[in-house]
Amino acid sequence: MLIKLQKRTIVLSQIIGYALVLLVGVTILLLVTQLYFDIKPLLTDQTDVFKSKAAVISKNISVFKSIKRERVYFKNAEIDELRKQSFVKNIAKFNSATFKINAYSNKSESIPVFYTDLFFESIPDIYLDVKTDEWKWNASLDFIPIIIPENYLNLYNFGFAESQGLPVLSKNTISQIEFNIQISGHHRTKDYKSKIVGFSNKVNSILVPEDFLLWANNEFGRQNNINTSRILVEFNDPSDKNILKFFNENNYSINKEELEFSKLVFFFKSALIFVFVIAVVIIFISVSFILLSFNLIIERNKELLLNLYNIGYNYTRIAKFYQLSISLITVFSILASIIISYSIRNYYLAKIINLFDFSIGKNHILLLGALLILILGIAYNVLIIKNIKTIVIPRKNK
Amino acid sequence: MSIELKNIKPTYMSDAEISASDIYLQESVKFENGKKYLIIANSGHGKTSVLNFIFGSNINFNGIINYNGFSNDDSLDYRKSKISYVFQDFKLFSDLTVFENIQLKNTLTKYKTIDEIYTLIEKVYLGHKKDSFVKNLSLGQKQRVAILRALCQPFELLLLDEPFSHLDKENKLIITNLINQEVQKQNASLIMTSLVETNPFDFDKILSL
Repeated sequence: MLIKLQKRTIVLSQIIGYALVLLVGVTILLLVTQLYFDIKPLLTDQTDVFKSKAAVISKNISVFKSIKRERVYFKNAEIDELRKQSFVKNIAKFNSATFKINAYSNKSESIPVFYTDLFFESIPDIYLDVKTDEWKWNASLDFIPIIIPENYLNLYNFGFAESQGLPVLSKNTISQIEFNIQISGHHRTKDYKSKIVGFSNKVNSILVPEDFLLWANNEFGRQNNINTSRILVEFNDPSDKNILKFFNENNYSINKEELEFSKLVFFFKSALIFVFVIAVVIIFISVSFILLSFNLIIERNKELLLNLYNIGYNYTRIAKFYQLSISLITVFSILASIIISYSIRNYYLAKIINLFDFSIGKNHILLLGALLILILGIAYNVLIIKNIKTIVIPRKNK
Repeated sequence: MSIELKNIKPTYMSDAEISASDIYLQESVKFENGKKYLIIANSGHGKTSVLNFIFGSNINFNGIINYNGFSNDDSLDYRKSKISYVFQDFKLFSDLTVFENIQLKNTLTKYKTIDEIYTLIEKVYLGHKKDSFVKNLSLGQKQRVAILRALCQPFELLLLDEPFSHLDKENKLIITNLINQEVQKQNASLIMTSLVETNPFDFDKILSL
């Protein structure tokens, strides 16, 4: 009887509206949260692939700087400033060769004849991906090992070789090829044998052992004062958002994939947070809407509720129907969200597993859904009983 | 149930409005256990207010009401379980049928069986209307339903707010008998309000507001 009476007070369209909006909000919330937990190890694994969390930075080249070369060099004060930043673990200067360098091939059938100008740079060995026994230089030996960026090889294989009808070279093959290096300066020249001993993803430059470069700059270099145009920075945490901020403010450019990846991580996290906030707003709106709706129902049926109280029904009994209705709708809505979230998660996991090799993380959807049911359940029950009590319990007029 | 009213005065009425009252602003007005009282007054003099004060649905009064020694501040549940009230405006649920309205109360008290309820409905000539919605009844029919509902609970005090205002002689007699039987059965007190002096219950005391 009581249910029959109170059922008439409910506005079905409002309940359905609430359930749908809550369903959308909770589904987004559960999915975004779960997506974060699922993707997190993937992001962490990726950044860990790079042993040293390092990036190469240089100054952005503008019209003025391209005219005045000094402007691309880092001043000592700037390097000190950089060293002081909290996100910087260590920094190393790039040394550039200040002498003329040519590379040329021997006349052989295995490789095409070439003669080209080159440039050399060096960084401390600890930052290099590639370490081989050949990465040594000795003044008594006429041999210089060099490291070239891996994308130079790709450029040759997929661009140059293709267009010129030349053979495609594997890393292994190219490492076997010996060619000559001639360095000159101060009216002297010296010839060396050379081989490519490794490829680097990390540094976009032609590297030689630091010992050699320092010696050669001294012997053949144009000046004693060596300028630094590129710096290798090792970070504590490459995803620290202050990194991008600092470099943008100082107009430094970072040519490091890893930092691009960090940027990606940052944007991905920002997007997740944004969607998470939207989901929270949707849930907040749906909760406010249903609370307002129930308050209106209670207010509109004040007379009926008061009569029930007057014939002996206490406020907890009167509130029970509304508490049950709102709780059941909420539970159904969130359960539906959990089921939908499970299905969507399975779908995106299947996609991600095809693309990346990573272990599937823990499923938090059920736990989070249950937590939401608990929080909303308690909030609704407390608020409804409070409202009914306010309506039915007689109060002194002021 | 014995009740004592001490210096009662509605907060929304001036002293001038309540002059010469047997109840309002009296040092002590007692309603004794097992006795029947009639309160007479013209419209707007606060008859319903007195009953509401006693019932506890209106607390806008100054003074003290004692129920078997309890004060009005701490006996809300006690009052609700020991006092039955026939409201002047009936307080029926128009979307429920005659039977459902009575049963709604009886579900709480479990005082009468369904057969007893049907018998009571038959007695007041509403048998043919037992499944009709209350919204389709006349005032007199509604008044009979409200009285039957009030009898479906154990009580120590029965409050009747102008209970016969819409009843004809025959129905008034039937209802009076039913109430008398129930009051005697439960050894309860009775307080009735009326616009004019009347004595269907052989009142022990008549008070005017």
